[in-house]
Amino acid sequence: MIKNYLKIAWRNLIKNRTFTIINVGGLALGMAVTLLIALWVEDELSHNSYFGNSDRIASVLANRTYNGYTDTNLTMARPLEFVLREQYSEYFDHIVMSKNWIPQYLEYDGKKISKTGNFMQNGAPDMLGLNMVSGEKDGLRDMNSIMLDESTAQVLFGAENPIGKTVEVNGEFGVTVSGVYADIPFNSSFYGMRFLMPLDRFIASREWARNIISDWGNHSFNLYVQIAKNTQMSEVSEKIKNIEKEQPSEAQFNPELFLFPMEDWHLRSQFKGGKQVGGRITYVWLFGIIGVFVLLLACINFMNLSTARSEKRSKEVGIRKSIGSHRTQLVKQFLGESFLVVVFAFVCAILIVQLSLDSFNDLAQKEIVFPWNESFFWAASVLFIFVTSLLAGSYPAMYLSSFKPIDVLKGSFKIGKQGATPRKVLVVFQFTVSVAFIIGTVIVAQQINHAKNRPSGYDKEGLVQLPVMSKEFLGKQDLLRDEFMASGAITEMSTSSSPTTGVWSTWGGFVWEGQPDDFQVDMAWTWVSPEYVESLNMDIVEGRDFSRTMATDSMTILINRTAMDYMGLSDPVGKHIWFPSEEGPQFKMKIIGVVEDIIAQSPYEPVKQSIYAYDRANNASFYNLRLNPAQGTAENLARIERVFKQHFPQLPFEYQFVDEEYGKKFASEERIGTLSGVFTTLAILISCLGLFGLTSFVAEQRTKEIGVRKVLGATVFNVWNMLSRGFLKLVVLACLIAVPIAYYIMDGWLEEFTYRIILKWWMFALAIFGAVLVTLVTISFQAIRAARANPIASLRTE
Amino acid sequence: MLLQLKNIFKWVNSGGQRIFLLKDINLEVQEGEFISVMGPSGSGKSTLLNVIGMLDGFDEGEYTFLDEPVHSLKEKHRANLYKEYIGFVFQQYHLLDDLTVKENLEMPLLYKKFKGTERRAMVADMLDRFNIVGKKDLFPTQLSGGQQQLVGIARALISSPKLILADEPTGNLNSKQGEEIMELFKELNQEGVTIIQVTHSEKNASYGSRIINLLDGRMI
Repeated sequence: MIKNYLKIAWRNLIKNRTFTIINVGGLALGMAVTLLIALWVEDELSHNSYFGNSDRIASVLANRTYNGYTDTNLTMARPLEFVLREQYSEYFDHIVMSKNWIPQYLEYDGKKISKTGNFMQNGAPDMLGLNMVSGEKDGLRDMNSIMLDESTAQVLFGAENPIGKTVEVNGEFGVTVSGVYADIPFNSSFYGMRFLMPLDRFIASREWARNIISDWGNHSFNLYVQIAKNTQMSEVSEKIKNIEKEQPSEAQFNPELFLFPMEDWHLRSQFKGGKQVGGRITYVWLFGIIGVFVLLLACINFMNLSTARSEKRSKEVGIRKSIGSHRTQLVKQFLGESFLVVVFAFVCAILIVQLSLDSFNDLAQKEIVFPWNESFFWAASVLFIFVTSLLAGSYPAMYLSSFKPIDVLKGSFKIGKQGATPRKVLVVFQFTVSVAFIIGTVIVAQQINHAKNRPSGYDKEGLVQLPVMSKEFLGKQDLLRDEFMASGAITEMSTSSSPTTGVWSTWGGFVWEGQPDDFQVDMAWTWVSPEYVESLNMDIVEGRDFSRTMATDSMTILINRTAMDYMGLSDPVGKHIWFPSEEGPQFKMKIIGVVEDIIAQSPYEPVKQSIYAYDRANNASFYNLRLNPAQGTAENLARIERVFKQHFPQLPFEYQFVDEEYGKKFASEERIGTLSGVFTTLAILISCLGLFGLTSFVAEQRTKEIGVRKVLGATVFNVWNMLSRGFLKLVVLACLIAVPIAYYIMDGWLEEFTYRIILKWWMFALAIFGAVLVTLVTISFQAIRAARANPIASLRTE
Repeated sequence: MLLQLKNIFKWVNSGGQRIFLLKDINLEVQEGEFISVMGPSGSGKSTLLNVIGMLDGFDEGEYTFLDEPVHSLKEKHRANLYKEYIGFVFQQYHLLDDLTVKENLEMPLLYKKFKGTERRAMVADMLDRFNIVGKKDLFPTQLSGGQQQLVGIARALISSPKLILADEPTGNLNSKQGEEIMELFKELNQEGVTIIQVTHSEKNASYGSRIINLLDGRMI
């Protein structure tokens, strides 16, 4: 029986090639999109699953309240570790304090490389369940040891056995390789951790770190724990909640400790006012929903084309019923047919996914591999095929099998209006989704452009930053500036304690004339050399720039335009700020000028009130170099490198282009924009494919009518108009439904941004215009063909 | 007795008026009969045939088929009944265009869940008997009308029904083909199959053992 069904199904598919191609093609496209999204979602959800204990690993976070604002901090004070070890050890399998992502120069046998890694306590390899390639897992016991990941060991040692060899770190001390672990995979929070050294090694090498061993006020470390087997995250969280608050010096900040489970690190990492408020999980949901919708669109094509063609199948239904088929048998037969189509489509979809996976990975910044060998994937695929078959096939199956043989066998059976209403509803649904997608894409693109076009306040192009990574830089900035400029590579250079694209420190607690009572000060604070404004090409709004020649300038600051309003100073130049203390004002600094706001943080948020203070004490974290426009960039960089190598022959030459760094601020939104653009295009393509099929069906069904009309004098335009109007009405209706839905959703999305576009009518109009245009082109192709056919030929076929 | 119709009425409502398609039909059919239903167009011949074949319902009266009260049976049970005992032959043949002659013959057997070997044997028998072995792999559109109707009859017969219902089986055929078909029916009837045919032609009616005349849904 099944063989018979499949045979009929197969012959039907072969006979109606256009419909088959539209059906299989549309479904394949839809399934491919859904598969890609499913792989993406799976990748997001399985982040950190590499770590075997991920369900019991957490980092300790604290909600601390400053100036009435509660912030969630990732960094902990050193003494917390001791308290946990001494009083709470029964709740933990591991307590690991860590200093994260420190770049270091590693040297072996003349080979020097810069790598980033963590300084962690010795439970770390076991907690993370690192897979050892060689050496011992408990490799952090000895203070002078280092564990390397496989690729770093490969680079440093080549074919040599690294175990027991000594690596020089920063030229400061030597450590012995105790173990080599497999590289940590891309989709995990510790990706890129190239080495592990004992935390004690870090503390021994830094004076400040030695001094804060009992300081509850200095939060410089991350704290990871693995909770004991018989405990719960929430339970342990509750137990440790008040530890920091019980310290007399900390009580004023009302700190509350809690565990942040590893499973939430990636997807639910946003905190607002001390509350967890989601994070990437929003996008996982968003894309998940898009995936389901795209599949639905493809299934709707299948339903519509199947029921539209029912006239052709009705005779078969009648005959089969009169020969003795039950309705259930017919339902099974039609479901079998859709199953067959879906299986075909799935095979094509897998092909499409395999072929497009590389570009998709590029687009989505992923390293997804097609899970050919995973039985779970194939099991899920079988389920996926069944669900899709049911989704696409059940309505046509119920509809087709409901025909009464007596009606269809009389030969007078015409489907006509029958079944047309559900078909229209489905088309409207399809286009509602598509138009909503278009509107969403237009608005995302507008918002990104809006933020990109926002004046950054300085000249990003031709600006290069050198990170200050080693103690050897200390005190050399003026010398280097002279030599760089003498080489002709740059026109100016400055140093700063934060990069131009970020705010690394904020400060409060100082006062100024006219400051309101109980004002809680919180301002971005950057130490800069006197040429900062000049090298960045910032604008001075009031007052003057720093000057090297005026000795008094060493106790001066510049503020930005936002700070003017923030501080309530209408005429700030000449005013002072100072830190009050019992011995009177300390560090009294004069405001000598106001500079234009520059976007250092999020381009979607207002610029933070900022102070640029004259750097007297070697606080440089970056050198900002203004390249000489008279030469090419490559030439400039070569000259800079030559000077750099003269002074630091042992350090690799590392630099970043500021405009690239600035561009990264848009990466996440741009990615969302591109992905939603791609999905929108595919959704429209699928919907149009269905519309194309329906139009050709209608044109075919009305061949005779068109013939008669043409004989009676109808023009091509008349016929085109007649065929198109019905569909166009549906699309316009879909637009009307889509607009408020899209408005509601996109308005919510824009809420996330302070600096955002205002939704304008033309954005919706543009989307509707696009949808109508695409629809018209799709319909017209068939409509005009039908309208131009020779009426004699079409009438003769009757 | 094969079947019995008692006071069968069938009507449709159109514009507030009740139009009768069948009016008070009383009919007994014995096994082995060959009945011809005659009457002008619109007199209810096909409707009567469809009611007997259980493809169509009726509004009033009783219908007993092999002692089963058809009017009170459930849809599925009724389908089983006609699947078992009734074969249809249509004026337009109604073969499935996507299936070959052989596959068309096989289809009713599939619905009756015969085994593969049995099916093949029965199909081979039928092909032999109707002399169409050479045509078994052709599709219906590759056959002449007469040949198609032969296949149609073979398909109706393959599951050995007790009753064959034929709605103007020769309506689309030329006179020679029509004659052959009628001869075939006569043969089948002699072998014991009960046949009810609808026909316009006196000549075809004369092959039967009894003639029922209908006018405006009433037996006269």
